[in-house]
This record gives sequence, structure tokens and C-alpha cells, in this order.
Amino acid sequence: MDFRLTEKQIEHRKECYKVCAELDKKKPKSWVGFESPFDNEEGWAFHLLCAKEFAKRGWLALGWPQEYGGTGDMMDKVIFAEARGYYDLAGSDIFGVAMLAPTLLAAGSEEIKREFLPKIANADLMFCELWSEPNSGSDLAGLQSSAVRKGDEFIVNGQKTWNTGAHYADWAFGVYKSDPNAKKHHNLTFMLCDMKSPGITVKGIPYMNGSHVYNEVYLDDVHIPAKYIVGQENEGWAVVNVLAGFERSNVDMVYGLVKGMEELIHYCNENKRGGQPLSRDPLIRNRLAEAACQLEAVRTLAFRVADQQNRNEMGLMDAAAVKVFASELMEKYGHLACDIVGPYGQVKHSKFAKMNGNPEYTYQSCFVPIVSMGTNEIQRNIIAWYGLGLPRMK
Amino acid sequence: MDLRYTEQQEILKKSARDFLAKECPKAKTRELENDAKGYDPALWQKMAELGWLGFNIPEDYEGMGYSFEDLTMHIEEVGKNILSGPYISTVVNTFAIVDAGTEEQKKDLLPKVSNGNCILALAWYEENGLYDASGITLKATQKGSDYHLNGTKMFVDCAHVANTLIVAARTKEGSGEDGVTLFLVDAKSAGIKIEVIPTIAHDHLCEVVFKDVAVPAKNILGKVDKGWPVLQLIIRKGSILKSAESLGGLQAVVEMTVAYAKERVQYDRPIGAFQALQHKMSDMWIAAGTSRYLLYEAAWLESEGEPSSKEASMAKAYINEAYKLITALGVKLHGGIGTSNDHDAPLYFRRAKAADTVYGGTDFHRELVAQHIGLK
Repeated sequence: MDFRLTEKQIEHRKECYKVCAELDKKKPKSWVGFESPFDNEEGWAFHLLCAKEFAKRGWLALGWPQEYGGTGDMMDKVIFAEARGYYDLAGSDIFGVAMLAPTLLAAGSEEIKREFLPKIANADLMFCELWSEPNSGSDLAGLQSSAVRKGDEFIVNGQKTWNTGAHYADWAFGVYKSDPNAKKHHNLTFMLCDMKSPGITVKGIPYMNGSHVYNEVYLDDVHIPAKYIVGQENEGWAVVNVLAGFERSNVDMVYGLVKGMEELIHYCNENKRGGQPLSRDPLIRNRLAEAACQLEAVRTLAFRVADQQNRNEMGLMDAAAVKVFASELMEKYGHLACDIVGPYGQVKHSKFAKMNGNPEYTYQSCFVPIVSMGTNEIQRNIIAWYGLGLPRMK
Repeated sequence: MDLRYTEQQEILKKSARDFLAKECPKAKTRELENDAKGYDPALWQKMAELGWLGFNIPEDYEGMGYSFEDLTMHIEEVGKNILSGPYISTVVNTFAIVDAGTEEQKKDLLPKVSNGNCILALAWYEENGLYDASGITLKATQKGSDYHLNGTKMFVDCAHVANTLIVAARTKEGSGEDGVTLFLVDAKSAGIKIEVIPTIAHDHLCEVVFKDVAVPAKNILGKVDKGWPVLQLIIRKGSILKSAESLGGLQAVVEMTVAYAKERVQYDRPIGAFQALQHKMSDMWIAAGTSRYLLYEAAWLESEGEPSSKEASMAKAYINEAYKLITALGVKLHGGIGTSNDHDAPLYFRRAKAADTVYGGTDFHRELVAQHIGLK
């Protein structure tokens, strides 16, 4: 067993933290957390700024094969995610960098790889995901948007929802029903499309805290060239599964919590109640220590996932466990932070707020990692069916 | 970074599993719960022959000289099978002698432990139930070249079959960390009265009453008044190894529960098809996975000689609760049969409660963690 990083990895880590610390100072005043890239113009501009800084260092292509502009390996990617997560920065497009690029590498044609990978690596294009529909969330395979083949192109009609960043994204990857007569799981096609295509309308959906993060996307007779298919026509479900299999180690979420805990400890040390620091309150000590233990537990498991993926083992079950545990720990942390700041737990990011308004923000935003990327209930199903081998009820 | 078992560890783990499956099946565990001694001397000798008692003892003292990390991996399998008796407590107590013993004490005791001829018991906790130094009130008064011990110790693991007791006593007025001295005491000394306490795990923890027990000064382990740091070492190493035992136990319960859910048919299907049970089993599995690498990190740090107190306390605090949670769910998911002592799940459930109290309970360790994370 060895938890150490190599000399080279330690250097890389130092460099990542250095660059991210510098970018952290440039955050716009309105920046509160991970939804902020999408919430307003200055948030998006900061996201692009970070992306370009990362792109010029090759960090958006970490772990890719060299022939497609890649450098480093999975562990380097994880180390970069750690620094980025710690400083709660944007700049690494979840959709293009984390999800689509590995999928193109695994399932895309040579042409599609050559056309899009350089643009993703260079932060020239930002992506959004057109998957969920009003009637197809967890049961994505049952989606209804249609893609009718007409010669060299598809005509797409339908409605997508929960599309994070669709109001800013340049391109999208989506999945549509291309053969209404075929069986479920063999009737979908995975395609890329330009969000500027005629027929695409984006309508914002307000998140519960008022942020503009996600959207509905309406597709009315949108023409998508067939050359933008990823994988085989009608076999898009297999591509969806390839993409879903690229579970991140979620190290960025874990390190966001590492920083959050540091800030909470600092707050307790520096603030008094009844004449003594909050840090002297036995209940606060006990709850913070409990959270610190839980955080270290998931941090070590996240590195186990990273280690497995660095050896080309998928580690899917451990990754599912990390996703569930870290997201629910974020929820616990949000509640704990609110409890600690007392009535200030309700105060939004403003001059009145304690801890930058982070408690109130986390209290509302923690639902995002819990219900997205496969709800935690679906993750528990996946662990039960594929990890524990329990029977799936028909 | 490489978070896989080494080849040596795979071999150690398999050999421990195979040995215990044969030598200590659940029927024997049940027997030993009601047995006066609480352990099997013949089995103890076999373990000694395999090198289990001298696992971490330096080879100079007839030990095997394995690493602490290897020992942790081995203990995990011991916990998975369940092994009744003072094995883990003897192994942990051995560290005190290796750390603080004089050459003479080490030459005298360590080979005996390694060869299976000395069971060590730590007499530390008292009726006040405290884990910190202030809990130690048993008095050691100097009388000529001896010290006389007076007081009562509680929860002394298998004191009734131990050869040597390591006794934590006060040699100075006060209740702080300074003034605690450790004594090596022959368990058969005049003035010692031992009684087994009925406990949830039937693990033969004892009340040990000391009335004017004379101990030669040369039997002091370490320095006068400076015994607390040795106990801190015991807390640290003991927390990791006890948590390793717990990790093995909780894994056994996850596996037996999943296996049962696949076999038990109700409403025309295996009960494991029902989502309510599936989700609970997924939660058990997640608790096990998050426990595992936290424990391994603590063991690795300790093994490498790196500071490990924080991680040791985090592991103990976390796994105390994970073991209790998993075993409670394990009982519940078995329904009625899970509540019967004929079933294996309660064997682990009862041991999970016992484990949380040894080398410091959850709240004790959370306070240590609070200090480690910088709370003023």
C-alpha cells in the first residue's frame, strides 16, 4: 500500500495549486459557487478565462493519448481536479472535457476526433448536454425526441430539459430516437450539434435559489449533419453507457469540501459566542470532528478510484459510492455550516453574510450533485444490481 | 500511489482466513462465549507456532518482524472470522514493551509472548469510564524498593487468564498526564482479585481489584511519572488494529446479508429484489468502502513511521459507528432469524458494541480529531 505521490506528481500538484490560487483572486464579486459560471455574464467570462489558462498548459487534455494532443495520465488529471475543486473554480467544462472527450476517444470516428478534440483541449468550444426530457429523467432510454434521417442529415424535433449552461454553450451532445420501430436501447442515436443551429430555442429554468443554471431546450426541425453521429446510427445507447462509465473520481467535489471545512474551522476559531470562541463549544467540536472523519473517509476512497482508473480499471462501484457519499456529505456540511452561523444561515452572499454566504448557498445547491449524473437512488440501484449482484425486479 | 494489497499481504490474508475457518468456526466462537477461560489454549499454541503472536515483534526477540501494515491486513481477517480471546489485546500490549521496555524486560517478556507463553493484559480503564489521563486514579505508593498498588481497574481484557498485567497507576498527586506510571505486574501477585464481568460480547473483560499489591521498582515500564505517552502509543496503535478487526467484521456482515437476500424467497421472489432492502445494502456497502481506505491510510502512515495520530483517531471514530450501523442493518435485513443467537449476525452486532469502547470511544476520538484539525 502506498498513498504517496511521485516527485513529478508533487511538482504538478504544486503547479496546479499555484495557478488555481492566482485565478481564485480574479473571481468576480458575484461568484458564490459551482453554479456561478452559468448564472451571469461575468461568471461565464471568468469560466472562459480559467479555461484558457488551463488549456494553454495542456490541462484540459490530461490523460488523452499523445496523438490527440494529450499529456500526462489519469492521476495528473485527478491532481488538477483536486486543485480546481479546492479553489472552487470553473474552467474545466464538465460536458466537453470530462464527459465528451473521453467518449469521443473511446467511440468516435477519426474525423470527429480530429475535428473536436483540439477545440475541446484549447477551450475553443464549450458544450452542453441534451439528454434528459420532461418524461425521461432517470429512465433516459425512454426518451421521445425524434431524429428522422433524410439523406446526409437528421431532422430533430423534441424537447430537452435540465440543460446546464445551454444558454451559453457553443455546441451540444445529445441523444434522440432515430428508429421508432426498433426495440428500446437500439433506437437512439448520439449526435453533436451546433447550438446556433436554426430551430434551437433555449429557455431558462430558475434554480430554487434564483440562479440561472439550467434550461429547457426546444428543437424544432433542427438539421444535424449525419457526420456528427458518435458511434453507430441507432446504437446511441451504447455510447451513453460509455460516457456514463467515465465516472470521475469526484476529487473536485471532495476538495471543495476540504476547503469548506478549513473555512468553517477558521470561522469557529475567530468568532465568539458567550465570551468564548465557537471552537470551544463541545457540540460544535463533536460535529466538526465527525464531518472531518467522513471527509477523510471519502477522500481516501476517491484516491482509490483514481488509482484504479490510472490502471485502466473502471472502479465503477467505488466511484458510485464516492458520488453518493460526497454529495450527501456536502448536504450535511451545508446544514452544519448554517447551524454554526445561526440566523446567518439564511443570509445570501452579500455584505451582510458570514462566510461569504457559503452556508446558505451550499444549503440550496447541494441538491445538484445529489440528483444529477444519476440520482443517488439510481446510484444505490447500480451498486445493488452490478456491485452486489442483487436481482433487478422486472 | 498504489492502493492494492502487496503479494505478501494477499498470502497472509488467505492463510489467516483458511486457518481460522478450520480452527475457529462459529460453533467454537459460541462455545468460547460460555467458556470459563474465554479462549482456547491449544489454538493459542497453534497461533504461536504460525508466528501470529510474534507478528510485529522484532526478530531479535524471537518475533516475525512483519510491518505494522502487514499486521493490520492480517488482523482484518481475524475480525472477519471472529477469534475469541486476548489475541488482539496481547499484540497491542506488546507494543508498549517494545517501545518502553528495558533490554532486560524485552528479553524476558517478548520471546515468551511470541512463543505463546505469555498473555498480556492492560489494566487501564477505571470505574469512571474515562479514556484520558484523568481517569487514572489507582495509586502506586513507594515503600522501600517496591511500589504498593491500591485501587480497581475495569474492563481488563482476559485478566483472569493473563500472565502479566500492564497496570497504569498514579505515582504523583494530581490528575494530569504527568504522574502516570506503568507497572509490569504478575497476574498471580498477592492482593489481586479478578472477576469476569458479564458483557455483551462475552469477551471476558475483568474487574481487577488491587489491595496492597507489591511490585518491585524494576518492574516499572518506561519512566516514573512518564507513562502516559506509552498509553498514547497504545491508543494510537490499538485504535488502528481494533478498527482493522472491525473492518473485517463489518465486511463479513455485508457479505452474509447480501447472500441471504439472494436466497430468501418471499412473495415469489428473493427478498433482495425489493428496492428498500437493496438500498440499505448499498448503504452498508458504501459504509464499508469508506471505512476501508481510511483505515488503510492510518495503517500505512503508522507503518511508515509518519505521524498518524489524526488518522488513527479518525479511523476509530468512523469505524466505531460504521461497524455498529452495518451490523444493526444486517440483523434487521435478516428479519426474525437475525435476532436469534443461533444466527451469525448477532455475533458481529454484539462485538461491534464492544469494539467501540476499546482504546477510546467515538466521542473521545472525535475530541482528539477536533484538536488535530485545528479547533482552538
